[in-house]
Amino acid sequence: MQFTNSNRRGMNGAALSMSSMIDVTFLLLIYFIVSTVLAKPEDQLTPALKVDQGAVVEESLLEPQIILVQQHDSQHVYKIGTQLLTSRKQLAEVLLKLPKGPGVVIKADDTVTVGFAIAAIQESKNAGFEKVTYVPDSN
Amino acid sequence: MAFGRSKNRTIIPVVEMTPMIDIIFLLIIFFMVAAQFAQQARVDMNLPKEIGEQKKQQENSFIINILQDDTLIVDSTKGGISLPELEVLLQNKIATDSISWDKLLIRADENGKTELLNQVLVLLHRFNFTATKIATETN
Repeated sequence: MQFTNSNRRGMNGAALSMSSMIDVTFLLLIYFIVSTVLAKPEDQLTPALKVDQGAVVEESLLEPQIILVQQHDSQHVYKIGTQLLTSRKQLAEVLLKLPKGPGVVIKADDTVTVGFAIAAIQESKNAGFEKVTYVPDSN
Repeated sequence: MAFGRSKNRTIIPVVEMTPMIDIIFLLIIFFMVAAQFAQQARVDMNLPKEIGEQKKQQENSFIINILQDDTLIVDSTKGGISLPELEVLLQNKIATDSISWDKLLIRADENGKTELLNQVLVLLHRFNFTATKIATETN
């Protein structure tokens, strides 16, 4: 029995043309580069959650540590006790001076923007508060 | 002056195409996969520009998107839903997957009002979620 390589006959000079495949491949590459929207890097804040249900006793105990995020004279403000803070920088300075043990409670009015309320959570975390509680306005 | 043909043999350079095609295919696969993930998970919005907690993030099995125009989106491939519809979805998710607060992420637009965010958080509190995760965008 003789095994001959019959395929080799007639193959001389046969070449697979790659140019059309490369064209299609480049077109696909350009399409996906243009259509891809790279996602921006995200992180997160994890405040504890409580709902104010008329807990007057609890609130009065924590009163010095409550940050109210409100709208005052068409301006967003942070209110801690009697202090009215108009900027984030002022809030950061006040938070650094507060005792960290009891934690901090943040209550945001429905009228303020999300960014302004979240900034209060971020500044509390930056100031070193472990217990940061967000109390949504339930009115 | 004699102009004769150079006796040096001209060498035709052969460009090796195989590694280039390999790289192009890898790039295509990368952009295809990246495009898929970006479409699935993210709803385009301006998240609060905060550094967050810079901790290792857990995988989220339920994402609530709150757009600037007070639209609630849970599945980015579908349209907006109402708060009662979100309540039903959450009920089903808790019944089937028994998700805890750390599997649920809230993505809220920084320019939106906190009203809807507060309503969602009150709803989560009704489902005994003791904390929440709010997404931020790191620069």
